[in-house]
Amino acid sequence: MTAPGERVDNSPGDLPTGSLGVLPNNLSNNPPAKPPAKPPAKPANNPPTKPSGFRQFCVLFNRDIKQELRTRQMLSSMGIYALLVLVVFGAAFAHTGPVATSGVAAVLPAGTPASPPTSPGISLISISGGLMWAMIVFTSLLGLARSFKAEKEADGWEGVLLVPLDRSLIFLAKACANLVFLLVVEAVTIPLFYVFFLSGLELAASFWLVAGPLLVGSAGIAGVGTLLATLTSGTRGTDVLLAILFVPVIFPLLYTVVAATTAALVGSPDMALDYARPMVLAAAYDLIMLPVCWLLYDFIVST
Amino acid sequence: MCEEAVKDKKTTERDDKAVVEGAATALADRMLLPLLVAGALLASLGFVLAFTTAPLVVGAEADVPALIGGQMVTHKLLLSQKIFFFHVPVAVVSFIGLFVMALYGLRFLRQRDQIYDLKAMVAAEIALLFIVMTMLSGELWERFEWGVWWTWEPRLTTYLILMLLVIAYFILRAGIDDPERRAVFASAFGAIAFVDGLISLAVTRLIPAGAHPVVFRTDSGLPPAMLVPFILTLLGMLLVAFGLYRFRLRERRLHQQLDELKASYENQKGMH
Repeated sequence: MTAPGERVDNSPGDLPTGSLGVLPNNLSNNPPAKPPAKPPAKPANNPPTKPSGFRQFCVLFNRDIKQELRTRQMLSSMGIYALLVLVVFGAAFAHTGPVATSGVAAVLPAGTPASPPTSPGISLISISGGLMWAMIVFTSLLGLARSFKAEKEADGWEGVLLVPLDRSLIFLAKACANLVFLLVVEAVTIPLFYVFFLSGLELAASFWLVAGPLLVGSAGIAGVGTLLATLTSGTRGTDVLLAILFVPVIFPLLYTVVAATTAALVGSPDMALDYARPMVLAAAYDLIMLPVCWLLYDFIVST
Repeated sequence: MCEEAVKDKKTTERDDKAVVEGAATALADRMLLPLLVAGALLASLGFVLAFTTAPLVVGAEADVPALIGGQMVTHKLLLSQKIFFFHVPVAVVSFIGLFVMALYGLRFLRQRDQIYDLKAMVAAEIALLFIVMTMLSGELWERFEWGVWWTWEPRLTTYLILMLLVIAYFILRAGIDDPERRAVFASAFGAIAFVDGLISLAVTRLIPAGAHPVVFRTDSGLPPAMLVPFILTLLGMLLVAFGLYRFRLRERRLHQQLDELKASYENQKGMH
């Protein structure tokens, strides 16, 4: 077909397979087309028996983790970026009045539903769930874009694609690695968020339930984000394009996890409606979108 | 029913992609202009009926009951509700457009025939056109009846997201040069966008956003006087959308053929 410039085209001219089946003969189809790929940080062993799917997954997953532990490029940039977002939030809410900015907010009796804004300032608790997710979304965007930039720069991706692996395993490993990075960054930034914005305010007793939306939301962001980052990694204007695709696609998930987070922080009288229902919907989003991404990944990577 | 027609056309077209267009396609192409005109006429007829035969919808209670035309009127009659007869058919058609886009995208992924990618793209264009019309007409209603330009009401939110998704689809296409890769990526994203649109619709409806009252009534049973113009407009809009789709598709294909001819001419010139 039309050879895209000098780019090394990995797939055999035809589509290798329509299904998600293992693609063992990808290599044998076009070995002379390219120089032997650089060893992708893993033993290029060729044992008579194929390693199990789980082992393949572990190798791929470890590869991402190891690479990150060596460079710490992604984690550090995500962490610093999240901190910067917090600073911007700080400026944005510096003039909203004493309730929002200082610890005086203890005047708010615990468990007060935050719907009626208290007169001197706005009630920060009721919007803090949204702010937290704004921070997570922006931070994850940065991390997702980076996760493929490194692959392209070091040509590691080519190596991975050359190995006769089940393509959907690549997705699974990459998404899991991104999820781990995201959770690590959250583990640092959300306490920071608490210190900066919520430490003076009285949270509802149910605040620990925030862990639910954080987990479900991060899983969805990592899964969908990995697919979209792969889609955009070879295009013009990668970073902007990723944001343009990512935000509308993630919107339903964002909507649900913000609802659940807010309910947990504010402490709703009807947790079944305000917390459980959004959580079920968020989980449903994950359960629908992640398999869809998983199925489509094969097509995208094979091109 | 438009779907059926599309599907028929599709199956007929697979065999004759290299050769000149098959008889069925040629016939369909000849019928296009009458089809488009018929659609426009049907939709217009629907509008006329909507304003003449369909009764005014009873709105909120009036501040002061008044005697109008010998009848005591206690509620406002909503002339603005006539937007419904444009707004809803257009919205339905836009969603069908998205569905067709996703369908052709998946078909492309299965069969790797560029024509399906082209069809998906054209369907997305039509969907975008109708989404914008939906949002504009909705905007008029909103400003007039709710008094605001924008509110994060479930359906508005869904349509905003749908619009962003389709725009993202085109931006993604514009960012990739290699036609094969572009087609695969766009098809994958089209499928995601459609699923995401459905989820968005469900989610925004199931989680009440803030204190905004749900103003929409879901009149499940429209009286016949309103149902007839509604159905007519819907049919008309479907025909218009289908006609536009075929016209655009033909235009794109002719464009491609022209490009190929140009390329081969250049090649020949180079050889001599």
